[in-house]
Amino acid sequence: MSTRMYPGMGPEERTTFPPYSAFDVPADLRQLHGRYDVEATARRVRNFRYAEEWLMMTLGGWIATIPEVPVKTGLGKIIWETALAADEFGKRLPELRCGRKALESSEASNHAFADFVQAVAEPETPDLTIEKLAGVFDVLIPHLVEVYELHNRETDAICDAPTIEILEHILRYKRQHIAWGDEVLDTLCESDALRERRRVRADSLQAQLVESGGVTGQLSQAPPSDA
Amino acid sequence: MKRFIPHEELARDSRFVRQDNAQVNVLASLPDDLDVVVGVFEKFSPMIEASVQGTAAQPLFEKYGPGFMLTILNEPLDPEAPAALTRLLLRMHGIFVGELQALEGAARSLWDFPEAPWEFKMNMARQCWDEGRHVQIFEKLLTHLGGEVGMFPESTFLFEAACSEDPAMRVAGVNRGLEGLACDVFRDMIRYAEKTDDEVMKQAVDYVLADEITHVRFGSEWVREFTKDSPEHLERAQEFRREVDRRFSFGGARSDREDAAIPIAWEDRVEAGFSQEELEELTQLAGEGPSKQTLVDAAEILRERYLAERRDPGHESVS
Repeated sequence: MSTRMYPGMGPEERTTFPPYSAFDVPADLRQLHGRYDVEATARRVRNFRYAEEWLMMTLGGWIATIPEVPVKTGLGKIIWETALAADEFGKRLPELRCGRKALESSEASNHAFADFVQAVAEPETPDLTIEKLAGVFDVLIPHLVEVYELHNRETDAICDAPTIEILEHILRYKRQHIAWGDEVLDTLCESDALRERRRVRADSLQAQLVESGGVTGQLSQAPPSDA
Repeated sequence: MKRFIPHEELARDSRFVRQDNAQVNVLASLPDDLDVVVGVFEKFSPMIEASVQGTAAQPLFEKYGPGFMLTILNEPLDPEAPAALTRLLLRMHGIFVGELQALEGAARSLWDFPEAPWEFKMNMARQCWDEGRHVQIFEKLLTHLGGEVGMFPESTFLFEAACSEDPAMRVAGVNRGLEGLACDVFRDMIRYAEKTDDEVMKQAVDYVLADEITHVRFGSEWVREFTKDSPEHLERAQEFRREVDRRFSFGGARSDREDAAIPIAWEDRVEAGFSQEELEELTQLAGEGPSKQTLVDAAEILRERYLAERRDPGHESVS
């Protein structure tokens, strides 16, 4: 039997190549189904960008008011990686039908979350490094990690793959940031009294975060996580 | 958290000692008059002495008197000169705290100007990472040379001079004034490292210099952008940068004089976006102030008077 290299006009003129594609190896088990449509994802990305932009600005404000030199230098790197995260979210927005001017648009999910962000940024004087870092590394960033992971589990794995890729990339940094912050806080909190300060600050902000509904304003609507 | 903080509120750990910025500010405005230079430094003597107590600069004060900074600042670094290592460490420590203040200046720009364009924030965020690495690099170079953080007092005049509440002036001051000075100092440090075959220092400082050129470029672009609709605003930003450059010239120590302690790095500055006209202007204003000879004579008079006072407290010397 001769091999037909190109299809012709009639049904008997098909090629002999089996219907085989890269998607079959391994089998593509993803389904065209996700919890968020284009508008919902765009809104969430704007919310994510709001949190990242304010996190970056807050850390920038703090560097001059933190006496510990390794904390200053460590935050310098985290500021840059947080800016990259906000930038990636901004670049995704025009792809989600938000218009080309959407690159710089950030939006808090609600006033309560905006107030929470301001509460995180509130500590100012040099004796409050523990309060500053606990707000960011014990509460805000772990919350963002949780929501980004949840988004990746719930969104349409094929249609919204660009957002998933962005979040995967950002998550890698975020986990490093949490580990760094945790190590710094463990070092700074060398007595029970200091550990208590960390705990009180984290608990207070955690309560405010839950009350606000979190970065997307939908904490209570989230289904239980797989874990 | 409030916007805009004064330099007194820059947070430091217990290793650091502050130096009154008045000394540096006065140095930048001194005329070429021997009596005035000597008089000013004698007036500041108690303040200078107090600020060096317990630091590695104390022996220099005890040897040269209140004019020791004139000698340190105005003589080019020479590995064969007396107290060469102390002078090298003093400069390295000055660079270290300068990087710290540059980090703080760039970082505060993120908080102080929340309405600034996103690209500006991206540039400042990138600068935060770079300056943070520079702090780490110069801390390691200090150790490499046998020094340590806090061994000399810190003057916060860089932050004080450069951090304006106007974003155009902030970038003119921090990114063009402060970072421009860094280009001059680092090119000189690379020359010193070549003279002493210090490959570690040469390579590290060369990388830092590459970063600084990028930061000056950020400044050049953002001054243009922030002032594009107002020639009057541009002129104010340029005047602010001139004033910063005047103060950062330390009475001619950083200048285009043949025997300047810190020569102006023309080629690096051109690459960073300084125009020929700006560089000629910098040369002119950096050359203002006391001549090299005036400073050398003043340092000698101050040393003699100080040592005479120590030998015979209360005596009156005649110059």
